[in-house]
Amino acid sequence: MHIPEFLTSQLLVSVAVLLVVFHVILGGAGMCIYLERKISAYIQDRIGPNRVGFDFGLPFLAFLKGMWGLGQFLADGLKLFLKEDYTPARVDKILFALAPALVVIPPLVTFAIIPWGGSWEAPWLPIPFLGWLPPAVVLVAGANISVGMVYVLAAASLGVYGITLGGWASNNKYSFFGGLRATAQMISYEIPMGLSLLAVLLTIGSLLPEQIIRWQYQHGWLILSQPIAAALFYVTALAEGNRAPFDNAECEQELVGGFHTEFSSMRFALYPLAEYAHLITGSALFAMIFLGGYHLPLGFLGSNHLLSPENVTTLGMIAKIAVFGGKTFLLICFGMLIRWTIPRLRYDQVMTTGWQGAIPISLFVVIVTSVMVYFGQTSLLALLGANVAMFFVILIALPLMPKTASNARIPLYGSRYSPMEGERVLTGPTNATALEDRPVQGTLAS
Amino acid sequence: MTVREQDILRLSPKPLGAMESIYLPEVFKGFGTTLKHLFTSFGQSKFSPVKTSRTMQYPEERREQLPVEEGGQYAPNFRGVHRLNRDEAGRVKCVACMMCPTICPARCIHIEAAESPWDDREKYPKKFEIDELRCIYCGMCEEACPVDAIELTTEYDIVGRSRQEMIFDKEKLLEIYDVTISKKPM
Repeated sequence: MHIPEFLTSQLLVSVAVLLVVFHVILGGAGMCIYLERKISAYIQDRIGPNRVGFDFGLPFLAFLKGMWGLGQFLADGLKLFLKEDYTPARVDKILFALAPALVVIPPLVTFAIIPWGGSWEAPWLPIPFLGWLPPAVVLVAGANISVGMVYVLAAASLGVYGITLGGWASNNKYSFFGGLRATAQMISYEIPMGLSLLAVLLTIGSLLPEQIIRWQYQHGWLILSQPIAAALFYVTALAEGNRAPFDNAECEQELVGGFHTEFSSMRFALYPLAEYAHLITGSALFAMIFLGGYHLPLGFLGSNHLLSPENVTTLGMIAKIAVFGGKTFLLICFGMLIRWTIPRLRYDQVMTTGWQGAIPISLFVVIVTSVMVYFGQTSLLALLGANVAMFFVILIALPLMPKTASNARIPLYGSRYSPMEGERVLTGPTNATALEDRPVQGTLAS
Repeated sequence: MTVREQDILRLSPKPLGAMESIYLPEVFKGFGTTLKHLFTSFGQSKFSPVKTSRTMQYPEERREQLPVEEGGQYAPNFRGVHRLNRDEAGRVKCVACMMCPTICPARCIHIEAAESPWDDREKYPKKFEIDELRCIYCGMCEEACPVDAIELTTEYDIVGRSRQEMIFDKEKLLEIYDVTISKKPM
C-alpha cells in the first residue's frame, strides 16, 4: 500500500505530542489551583485542602478518602460545571461568549513549539490500512517552525484580547477598567519581553527552540550568561500572564473582581484556567530559554549521556521530558511563591516599573549584548562579566534617571478631596435632621 | 477638643537605599521568609512535635475538647442556640413580658402572649418562636430577661433542611433545655 507524502513520522509524533501536552496542561491547570492553595496554606501556617479524596462518597472506595486533598481540583471543576451560567442583561452577547474562549487559546497554542523531548529516533510507526512508516529522527515537539521565538511573542500578545473583550462585553465599568488596565500593562511589558528575548537571540544567533537548547548544552545555561535578561524575561512573563504581583486587572480592592466580575460557571472558570496555563507556558519557556531545557550539567558522564541532544534513544527522550517537566514544575512553584510573598503593585507603580525600569534596562542589555556579539565575545565568562558590569551601571544610573512626579491629586470639578481652584465645595451635612444641628459649612479650595 | 501641634507625631518613610531601589535583593529576602514558613509547615500532622498551624479539624476536633487557655469553649460565656428554661414544676419560666423581642436587634423573636393558666403570673407565652437564621447570637435577650427564662446554650452546630425548619417554636426550645441542662446549668 502506498503511504501519502505528507504522512511522515514527524507529523505523527507532533500530533501525539500536541494531544498529550494539551490535555496535560488542561489537567495541570486544575492541579495548579490545588498546588497554589496548598503552597499558600503552608506559607501562611495553615493546612490547606485536605479532605477531598477520590472516594466519591462510595463505601468500597473508602480507602481513597483524604489523600491530602488531591481530589479538590475535580470537586472545584465539577462545582463550576454545575453552577448557573448567567448572562447579565445588556451585555454584548457575542463578545461575552467569545471572550473566555479567546483568553484560553493563546497560552495553549504557545506550547506547540516547546521541544519537550529533543530529538528522538522514532521506531516503525503503524498507519492503519496503509502500512508502516520507517524509523526516522524526529523532534518531540508540537511544531518545529523556523520562526520559533517570534511565534511565542506573537501568540503571547494575543492573550490580552480575551481579557479586554471580557471587560468590554460585561457592560460594567469596573470590568472595563480591569480590561483597560490589562491592555496598558500588556503593551508596556511586551516591549521589555521582546527586548530581553532579543538579547538572548543575538547571543545564540537562532530562533529555533531546539537550537537554543543545543547552544546552552555547548556554552552553559543562559541564566548564567544573561542573568539580567533572565530576570527581565521572568518579570515580564509574570506581567503578561496577569499573574501576581502584576494582577492589577483583577484587583479586588479597587475593581470588585476586574474583567471577570460578570462571568459565572465555566465561562468564569476559563479565566483562572487561562491564568494557570499562562503560568505553565511562561515557566516552560523560561526553562527552555534560560535553564537549558532538558539539559542538566552531566558532562562528567561522557558526551553521549541520556540528556545530550545527540542521544536519540527512547530512554533518552523520556529522561529529557522528565527533566524538562521537573524544571517547569519547580518554576511553577516559584511563581506561586512569588504570589504569596510580594504584595500587588499599585497601578501607577506597575507603569513606572515598566516604562522607567524594565524598558531602559532591557534596551541597555540589548545594546551591550550586540556590542559583545559584534566583537565575538559570547563566551560564558565574557557575558557574565558584562552582566556584572551592567548590574553596577544600572545600580548607579537608575536612581539618577528623571522621574515623573506622582499625579495623585488632579483637581476635579465637584470633588470634595481635590477641588478645582476657587471652587466652592460643600463639605457640610446635607441630611435635613443634621442640618438643624449644624448649618452648612462651605469650604473654599485654596 | 482640637489636637495640639506638639501632640502630633509626624512620620515619613526612610528613603530607599541603592539596593532597595532595584527591588530584587529585597524580594529575595522576602522569599527567605516565606520559604521558611513553607518548609516548617510542610507535611505537618497532628503527630508532629512542632505545630505551626492552629487549624482545628472540625467534626473530629472540637472547641469543647480544648482547655479554655488554648482557645477552647468557655461554657458560661458561650453564645450558642437558645433554650427556654423550665421552673421546678417543669413549666416554661417565661412570663411573656416582651422584653426580649423589644431588645432583639435582629427582630427574630416572636411571642404571642396569653392569660396564664397558673396563679403565680399573669401571662405566659402561648407561642414562642425564634428564627435561628435571623438571629445574630448577640445575647441581648438573655441580658434583658427579668426571670432568666431565655438563655443561650453551648450548642452551635445546628442544621435544618428548610428555612421553616430553622424557626424554633416553644416545644423545640424547651426540648433544647432538656438536652442541654446537664451541660450548662441554669
